[in-house]
Amino acid sequence: MRWLKFAIQNTLRNRRRSLVTVAIAALGTAAILLAGGFALYTYQALEQSAARSTGHLIVGVPAQFTQDEDTPLQHGLDNYQALSTQLLADPDVRQVLPRVAFSGLISNGDKSTVMLATGVEPDSEFAVKGPFLNMVAGDVLATAAKQAEVMLGEGLAKSLKAKPGTSLTLLASTTDGALNALDVTVKGVFSTGVPDIDKRLVYTDIATAQKLLNTTRVSTLGVFLKSMAATAPAQQRVSRLNPQLTVQTWLDQAFFYKSVRDLYNRIFGALGLIIGVIVVFVVTNAMAMAIIERTREIGTLRALGTLPSQLLRTLALEGMVLGGVGAAAGALIAFAVSMLLYVVPVQMPPPPGSSRGYPLNVTFDAGMYAVAVLAMVALSMLASAWIARKTVHTPVAEALAHT
Amino acid sequence: MFAPRPASTPADPPRGCGPAWERPGARPAFAAPVIELRGVHKTYRLGQHVIPALQGVDLVVRRGELLALTGPSGSGKSTILNLAGLIDTPDRGEIVLDGQAVTGLEEIPRTLLRRDALGFVFQSFNLVPVMTVAENVDYPLFIAGVPARERRERVAAQLAAVGLQDHAQHRPDALSGGQRQRVAIARALIKRPRLVVADEPTASLDSHTADQVLDLMRERCHAEGAAFVIATHDSRLTQRCDRVLALLDGRLQ
Repeated sequence: MRWLKFAIQNTLRNRRRSLVTVAIAALGTAAILLAGGFALYTYQALEQSAARSTGHLIVGVPAQFTQDEDTPLQHGLDNYQALSTQLLADPDVRQVLPRVAFSGLISNGDKSTVMLATGVEPDSEFAVKGPFLNMVAGDVLATAAKQAEVMLGEGLAKSLKAKPGTSLTLLASTTDGALNALDVTVKGVFSTGVPDIDKRLVYTDIATAQKLLNTTRVSTLGVFLKSMAATAPAQQRVSRLNPQLTVQTWLDQAFFYKSVRDLYNRIFGALGLIIGVIVVFVVTNAMAMAIIERTREIGTLRALGTLPSQLLRTLALEGMVLGGVGAAAGALIAFAVSMLLYVVPVQMPPPPGSSRGYPLNVTFDAGMYAVAVLAMVALSMLASAWIARKTVHTPVAEALAHT
Repeated sequence: MFAPRPASTPADPPRGCGPAWERPGARPAFAAPVIELRGVHKTYRLGQHVIPALQGVDLVVRRGELLALTGPSGSGKSTILNLAGLIDTPDRGEIVLDGQAVTGLEEIPRTLLRRDALGFVFQSFNLVPVMTVAENVDYPLFIAGVPARERRERVAAQLAAVGLQDHAQHRPDALSGGQRQRVAIARALIKRPRLVVADEPTASLDSHTADQVLDLMRERCHAEGAAFVIATHDSRLTQRCDRVLALLDGRLQ
């Protein structure tokens, strides 16, 4: 405690210099934490989005994930209801959603265009996934619909001049290779926020999809769990019970998420490194000036019998005080800004390829805060000790003669 | 090469160590030696110039002795203090502290010896400005690992001995020059050293304060039994030391 008190007293000798050092350390730490918190929020949002899109687990026959299909649903699942019942018995499973993925043409009579369609169980799908689609017009699909219905992406609806109530025709190859057509009614128009997807995407119900493709199969089952943390253990259990099937996690199919994470890790990693180096340089510079000014005093303390290691310790503690106070202040600033963004929302512009902006949020993560503050403290201590080592080992007589 | 010689005895004072004069009441010659310099040489290099600071100095300082070193600037006074205070090493010769040869000691044992056996008083006091008077005096005990309770008692006693008990919580910059030097003396004596080296301890003080400081050093020297080696130009100070040695061109006269 005495060494720490001495270190604190020393940092107060030149208050203006210490204040500037602490301020830069605080701003650096806050910048690192805000950037990290933003990246973390983005990761969490994309994780949720990816898991909500596909399900936490995706169950299918092995070929579904490794090979292209020659005919629609060639690698689909038979008797999926029994498998669904078995999966729902797992305590971590909240819902099992069958999906039929297919492609074909969609026509308004005058114009036909390519579609990428997904057959879903509407009530379950929209109940589990919540408001994942932004409805532009009309309503979402309903399971008990009397007629075949579809939801169209905004771009596709615009291309076909369709609106809720418009009749369209779906054309696709059946599982035995024949061409089939089915009249449907537009129930709603949605936007995913990605214009390229909205130009092609169609949702319909499972029964309509199976009728169009002339099959009872589904492509995959999306398994929704009660929490993200249950993903790995649930995957193990489901795989053990169904060794003939492949069970992928949302992460296996989250290519966009992985790309963004890799990109952000590099961008924010480099940013953090640069800020960290700046802070260390500032602390080092402040300590270097303080040590040069106190060379004679260091000589006196050495003459009195202070060991070099004791002096290094107290000078490192000075660095720790400067870096630590700065880092703690930076953490408080970052926390305050994070909270402020919830109270006063700031909207970010749409990212490339998207038509929707998103709220600027910064996640507070105690672990990240602890690591950033401790890293800043450790770096400041090391930098101070490194800069002090030469003066501490200067011959005592030489240090005492320093003017 | 320098050939070590046997330690000097009271009956056989070292060569070149004859006192310029000795004061009445000085320590008797048979008191135990605290520090001995035997045939010590020291040179400094300034660029291409080699400056001989000490040229074969022999010196014995005995327990309880107040020894003054006089001489013009550059005569070697501070070099002797540095060597006696173990903050510098001789090029040749031997230094013996309390019967132990310390010439070849590594830095850490030398530091520990300074911590445990030596005290320092500097011309410009060299107190730590951010510490209080009590903390400055306490510092040598703290780094020596003396328990806090014992430190408190010894610091209080030492401050009382130098008349600064009422200034314990003051910072050095709130004290006069004489008071600061008394703090420095208390700091030097708190660990009961065997030797105190003092470099121009009265040079920064007015004559009245210098007298007070000298009285204090003399009193504490005799009370604590520590030897004092004082480098000084101050004739009033030399008149009140037990022994005075004059240095010229790195040699004792």
